[in-house]
This record gives sequence, structure tokens and C-alpha cells, in this order.
Amino acid sequence: MRKQLITLTVNGDRCEVAVTPDMRLLDLIRDELELKGTKEGCGEGECGACTVIMNGLPVNACLVLAPQAAEADIVTIEGLTTNGTMSLLQRQFLDNGAVQCGFCSPGMIMTAKALLDDNPAPSEDDVRDALSGNLCRCTGYEKIVDAVLVTAALVGQGSAESVPGEGGAA
Amino acid sequence: MSAFTYVGKRLPPVDGEERASGRAQYVTDIKLPGMLHGKILRSPLPHARIASIDTSAAEALPGVKAVATWADTPGVSFGPIPAFEDWTILAKDKVRFVGEEVAAVAAVDEATALRALDLIEVEYEELPAVFDPVEAMKPGAPSINGRERNVVMPFSLERGDVDGALAGADLVLEEDYYTNQVYQAYMETMAGVVRPEKHGGFTMWLPIQIPNKSRLTYGKALGVRPEDIRIIKPFMGGAFGAKMEVDLHLVAAVLARKCGRPVRIVNTRHEDIVAGNPRVPMHIHLKMGFMRDGRFAAKEVRIVAANGGRTVYSPPIMATACYRVDTLYTFENVRAEGYAVDTNTVPTGAFRGFGNSQMTFPLETMIDQAAAQLGLDPVAIRRRNAVPTGYVSIHGWEVGSSGQEQTLDNVARISGLASRRRQAADTGPVRRGVGLAACNHVSGNKAFFPPFDGSSSIVRIAEDGKVIVFHGECDMGQGQTTAFSQIVAEALGARLEDVTVAEVDTQVSPYGLGSFATRGTTIGGMGVKKGADAAKELLLQAAAEHFGADILALDTEQSEVYLKADPSRRVSFGHLARGFIFTHGGLPMVAQGHYVPNTVAPDPKTKYGNVSPAYVFGAHVAEVEVDTETGEVRVTGYWASHDVGRAINPMQLEGQVQGGVAQGIGWALMEDMITREGRIANPTLLDYRVPGSKDVPRVTCDFVEPVDPNGPFGAKGIGEPALNPVPAAVANAIYDAIGIRFTELPITAEKVLAALRAREAAQRGRGGQGFV
Ligand code: FES
Ligand code: FES
Repeated sequence: MRKQLITLTVNGDRCEVAVTPDMRLLDLIRDELELKGTKEGCGEGECGACTVIMNGLPVNACLVLAPQAAEADIVTIEGLTTNGTMSLLQRQFLDNGAVQCGFCSPGMIMTAKALLDDNPAPSEDDVRDALSGNLCRCTGYEKIVDAVLVTAALVGQGSAESVPGEGGAA
Repeated sequence: MSAFTYVGKRLPPVDGEERASGRAQYVTDIKLPGMLHGKILRSPLPHARIASIDTSAAEALPGVKAVATWADTPGVSFGPIPAFEDWTILAKDKVRFVGEEVAAVAAVDEATALRALDLIEVEYEELPAVFDPVEAMKPGAPSINGRERNVVMPFSLERGDVDGALAGADLVLEEDYYTNQVYQAYMETMAGVVRPEKHGGFTMWLPIQIPNKSRLTYGKALGVRPEDIRIIKPFMGGAFGAKMEVDLHLVAAVLARKCGRPVRIVNTRHEDIVAGNPRVPMHIHLKMGFMRDGRFAAKEVRIVAANGGRTVYSPPIMATACYRVDTLYTFENVRAEGYAVDTNTVPTGAFRGFGNSQMTFPLETMIDQAAAQLGLDPVAIRRRNAVPTGYVSIHGWEVGSSGQEQTLDNVARISGLASRRRQAADTGPVRRGVGLAACNHVSGNKAFFPPFDGSSSIVRIAEDGKVIVFHGECDMGQGQTTAFSQIVAEALGARLEDVTVAEVDTQVSPYGLGSFATRGTTIGGMGVKKGADAAKELLLQAAAEHFGADILALDTEQSEVYLKADPSRRVSFGHLARGFIFTHGGLPMVAQGHYVPNTVAPDPKTKYGNVSPAYVFGAHVAEVEVDTETGEVRVTGYWASHDVGRAINPMQLEGQVQGGVAQGIGWALMEDMITREGRIANPTLLDYRVPGSKDVPRVTCDFVEPVDPNGPFGAKGIGEPALNPVPAAVANAIYDAIGIRFTELPITAEKVLAALRAREAAQRGRGGQGFV
């Protein structure tokens, strides 16, 4: 199939990738850039495991075609770690017991980050609404919801340092 | 305050950072040099003879490296259970369910492999099919695997005087129930990466619950010795019982052998739903006798369970449903009759609860019904029959610890059960109700693998004092690695951060049975604790020489050995290990330990025998709101108390309970593999809905810790019991809300609405008489 060269920014790095018209953003991320943190749980937009942030909004990378990501600014789970240190949100996922098998976690965390970037003081309902497209079969969601609420509270108290360049404290 | 450093602490997962940062490597993330991508051609028909297969066009497609059919396999029949070997890696001359593996392709990429599948021509001659196990047992039903009446395994058992007890009972209830087929829906689909090795062997990277045991089955299937198969289990994205033996692993091996290159196969979600190992659906007929004071006089059950087109684990699951609940209460008179029956549907296997969860639904709803009819409190009737510590059940199960009464009291207290009940009298369209249900389970099951029971470990003290633990169990995402780390750190007196639990690699890990029967914490935990105990001995011996002191004068903490009389005199594990290793020519400082539980394989005829070293109990309360205009049920509150022996990590325990409750709510209210003529009609996560963040309430957890004599630090298991009572608790809450009992899962809005309408019609017809 005919390939086309696109340029995009992923986790702050400019990259040039040869993509086919039918390649998914998920394949670009996982197979071309070898960023395996983003998971595929269904390939049909139903589980959220593939969630990345594209131009500030959470998207299912399995539903976006790679050519549509030309010139886009993408953040994946790998982009939340700075010099080997996880973000506050990731830390809170662990400290609150929100990670079991972890297969949903990258997508969950990206969706939660997008929520907190947009709404730094969400209610529990806001969090449950925002996460409703991300399936987790292990945790029953309660500890995930808590992790997001605790992160928001800590950021609100100013007791957390924001992660530079990632558009917010989360 | 507890005297423990790590046991009982709310610690985050020791391997959590990899998972939360995206660094954790799952099988689906592995990419080996030269790796090809495999795809499986699956049967489109539920029952058909294969007249011919033509793979020539597929083989000719550029990029295709191998095409395999039955002729490329060793051609032997095999299966997870030696008594029922009805698998072949690829179908020989007949397919028995939609989704059965017929042929496979390995190609340079998935797209090419998929195009090649389209080019394989299979000619089928359709055969008459049968989908329901009751139908399949009838005379004249199509024969699926050549078994008489399609019965894979019958089961029967009788103890006490059932007929006499029923005749003398004050109340006898009898009902038909149906527990439907549901899908585990782990987020990582079935997968495997297989590399061919010398002497016809393989290295397999698999998400698998039984990395050691599966090699027995796989060795037979592939015509190699089990030791020629090396299985490595990396991070795993959930399993819940489904990821035992999986045919896809063998298909990948056949392709890898044929083309001499590593092959990766990952199920699409669609394939995973149509050809996974979903829960065994069961028709359950239950009859129970009750005495006026609430004692259970007798229980009689008849179960017909669907095996699917080939045998995974439905026979022991059906057997489990027949009698595991007999140790939930002090039953004395029981009779059970069960059948696992071939059907032209997806093969059925283990799903959290292993049959016990199926049976808990009828049992706990019938007890609720009896309590209401006898005017007894639902807690009181269960307490009346509760199992005490030291109890030996009618089947010889030795209950070394029981916190059952306390779980009942505690869940009633934390939920405010007494004050919440009887809101069914409310008027208005939305009715609220609460329901109680109890559960039991094992913590290990000798019957599952009769050759041996137990667990072992190798503990190595590295020259820098780090502790590496090798075991043969399986963390499928439930947090076993963290629990093992805590147990080892505690037993050894090591710093938690110094302990590494190695991933299972059968080339170096001890032989272990793996994750099933809620055995990991109890039996696996004892295996690693024994290894840690032995490693501590080694370190104390080395320190005794170092200090010139008696071994009894020494102890360990924080990865150091110290003199008990003068704790300021200390020596680090690293110093001792270097001393040992460098004076022994580099000999590893290694200890091993093992645990053999007091279990026996039940007598094949009488089924008598203690199958597990420990038994667990729990009690749940669900609160629901039923919208009588739409039939919609929402679970608005949930409380769970579990007897866990000893809590190793309360945060992880809560996670297990909350996850189990969410799965149970899904099963109770929404999840159903809708099968029409053998085809699953909803094979996507859009149509097969599992609970999302807005479908489940908060779950208030309580843990009772009677400290079991057999578990590590007294700990017992939690995985399966967390789900077992949920459908019954929800169904009982619905009854409390609207006065209607449901006997079939799931209790969907349509069913609720239809039942409400039927009652209205009957009330009108009968001048206001309810028929509940
Ligand atoms: S993989 Fe994209 S939503 Fe499931
Ligand atoms: S932690 Fe396993 S799916 Fe969410």
C-alpha cells in the first residue's frame, strides 16, 4: 500500500513516520514508534485501553487513522514520566490501589489526566462520567475514582508540583 | 498494633510502577527478531463435517510463510483433563462449535495473514446441531463427540438421609434455576508468542495461569517432552479462570515449527468472545427442606451443565457446583446428581467461582425465600446453620478456621441491614430493597490436580544482599507478586525493597501448580514463606560464624542479622552473602522450601476427602433501586465482609472484593452471551456490556481474621469468594424491593418489567392476590 510521510509530535518529540492510509494511530504508536505502553483491548472504540491525548483531548487511538494525526500533538502514557519519575496522578493510582493487572491503567490514566487538565476540581460524578468509556475488569473502579479525586485534592492544596510541559499538574 | 513489619500493611503493588508507567511488558507487547504474525481460520458453523480444505491460494500469497491444517499437527487427541481428551490443535474432519480452529496462517504482518485466511477454501457439510445441554441428553440428539447421550461426565453423591429429612421438614421448597453463560472479559485478550528451539522444542511467552501444568498437555499435543517446552509468563492482563490451556498457544507452536520462526498470535476481541473459555451455563434444580427454627434439613440438587464442543473444565466445575456449598453450612443430608453435556457451543471453562458461584445463586436465594416464609431474620437463619472453627463437613472437609458468624454479623452491622429492610412497602415508581447472601470457598483444591498438592520456592541471596524469589505460581494481575514480597520480607526479615519476585520461567522456576481455586495466597504463600524461612537459616548460620555467636542468639530485620542481646551489633545480608559466595567459589547462596498441605484427593466413588488446607467464608449485602416503570435495576450500595484468615494487604484485598463485586453485578444484571443457533449474537464489548464506572457502587469492605493454622501468617484466599454471593445478594435485594423472585440470570430490565406486568395482570385477574 502507498505510504505517506507525516510529521507529528509525540511526548514532545517531533517525529516523521511513513504511514499507510489505513494505518491506525494505535499501530503508529505501538508498532512504528514502539511505545508499547498504550494498549489494545478491543480495537473497536469500546474499552479505552488505547486512550492517548491528541491536541489536548483524549481519543481512542484505535479509531484514529494515522494520517489524521499529521501535525498533531500526541501524549502517551510514556510522556507522563519525566526523567524516570512518574507524575503525581500515576503515583496516586499506585498509592490508592487503582492498578491491578494494569492493562487498563495507561488508558485510564490518560483519560483521567485529560479530565484533570480540563477540570482541576471534579466531583465523583464528573470522574465517573469521564472514565465511563474506559473499562477495567479488575478493580471495580472505586480505587481508580479515588486516585483521581485524591490527585485533584492534592493539586488543589498546592502540595504537588506540576509536571512541566504536560499541561497541568496531573 | 501488629507485630508485623509488612504483613497487614496497605502497600502499593511492588510491580505497580511498571504497570502505571506503561513499561510493563505483556505478551502482546513482545516483538522478537524475525517474528511472524499468525491468524486462525475458525469454523463459521456449529457442527459440520470438513469435506476438504484447499490452502494453495493462501500459500501462494506473497508474505505468507506457513499455512497449517490438521495434517501439519502431530494429529494426537489431547485435553486439559486426561480423562476427556477431545481436543486436536486444528480440526481433523469435523467442527463442533462456531470458532473452532480449522487452519492457520503465519505471515510477515497481520494484514497479510488475514488476507491469506480469506484465500483458504474449506468445504463443509453441515450436521444437525444441538445447543442446550438438556436437549443434547435426549434420545436422538446429534452426537457431538461420540459419547452416550453426549454426557461427558455424570456426577452423583449422597450422604445422610435426604428422603427422611425432607419428609420431616416443616417447609420444603423446590425450584428450577438457570445460570447463564458469561465471559471473563479480561482486558488483555488471549495471546502467545512462540519461538521454535532445537530438538523440536519451544519457548513460549504466554499469559497463562498454569505455566507448569500446561506443559503436560502441550507436550502431548506437540509430541515433545514437557521439558522441551519452556514457558515464560510476563505481565498478564487479567484472566479470572479463562487462561488455563488455550488452543491458540498450540496453533502458534505448529506454525512456528513449520516455518522455523517465532510466531505471535493475539486474539481479536471478537475471536476471544466466540472462542474463549466462558462460564459453564447450568440448569439447576434445587430442593431444600427447612425446620421451623431455621435448621436446614436437607438439600437435593440436579444440575445439567453445557460443556461446549470440547472439554475444558466443565466436568469438575459441574461437580463443584454439586457439592462445594455443602461446607457453607452444617448440612447433614445432601444428594446431588449432575451432568456435563456436550453441546455445539463455545467450550466452557473456569470463571472465578468454578461452579461454586453458579450454585450459590440458587442456594442463597432459596434460603432467603425460606427465611421470609418461616418469618425468620435472614442473618439468623444463616447463623443457625453456620460452620464453626474445627468443623469437619459431611464430605470430610476440615475447616481449620471459620469466621463465618462474624462475617454475617459484621455485614449486617456495617450495612445497617435491619434498618434498611422492608422498604418494599414504599410507594412510587422507584422501589428500594436490600438483600443478603453468604458464600464459602476453598483455598486450594487437591481434586484439580491429583498427582500432587503444595507449593515450593527457591530464595537466592545475591552478593549485594538482594533477595530473589523463584516460584511456579502465577500473578495474573491480582497482586500475587506483592503478597509474596510481603510474606518473604516478613519471614526473612528483609527490607521489602530488597525483595524481587522473579517472573515465572519454567526453565528456572520450581514446579508450581499456578492460579486456580483461590490457592495463591494460602498454598503459594506458604511455598515462598518456607523458602524464606530456609534462607533465614542460611543467613543466621553465616552470621553465627561472623559473630562467633550461637545461632539462637541472632535474629534478622531490615536485611540485617543482629545480636538479640545487643541489637547495635549488626551485619548486612549483603556482607554475609559476599562472604559466603566468595569463599565458596561463587556458589549461589540459595535456599529452598516447600509446603505440602494436609489435603487428599477425594475418593472417586464417595467424593470424601479434605480437598483444601483452608476454607473461607463471606457475606454480602446489596442495596438496589428498581424503577418499576422501566424495569431498570441499579445497585446503589454494597457491603462485603470476608473471612480472610489474616489480611496480608488490606488495600489489595479491598481491590479483589470490589473487582469481584463489579463482575458479580455484571453477571446479575447485564452480562449475557446471547447465543442463537450456536452463534454468539453479541461478540463485541459494545454489545456484550461489562460494568463501567457508572454501573457499580462503592463497596464497603470488612475483613474477619480468625488466623488459619495452615496459611502463611494465617492467611486464606479471596479471589473467587469475592464474586460468589453477588448475584444472590442482588436478586434478594430485588425481591425486597418489588416482591418478585428471579430464578434466571441475568435479571435484565426486560425481565423485571415483564415480571411486574405479569403480576399486575394476575392481580387484576385474581382480584388483587399476589402470586409471589
Ligand atoms: S482498543 Fe481502542 S477502545 Fe479498545
Ligand atoms: S487493572 Fe486490570 S483491567 Fe483494570
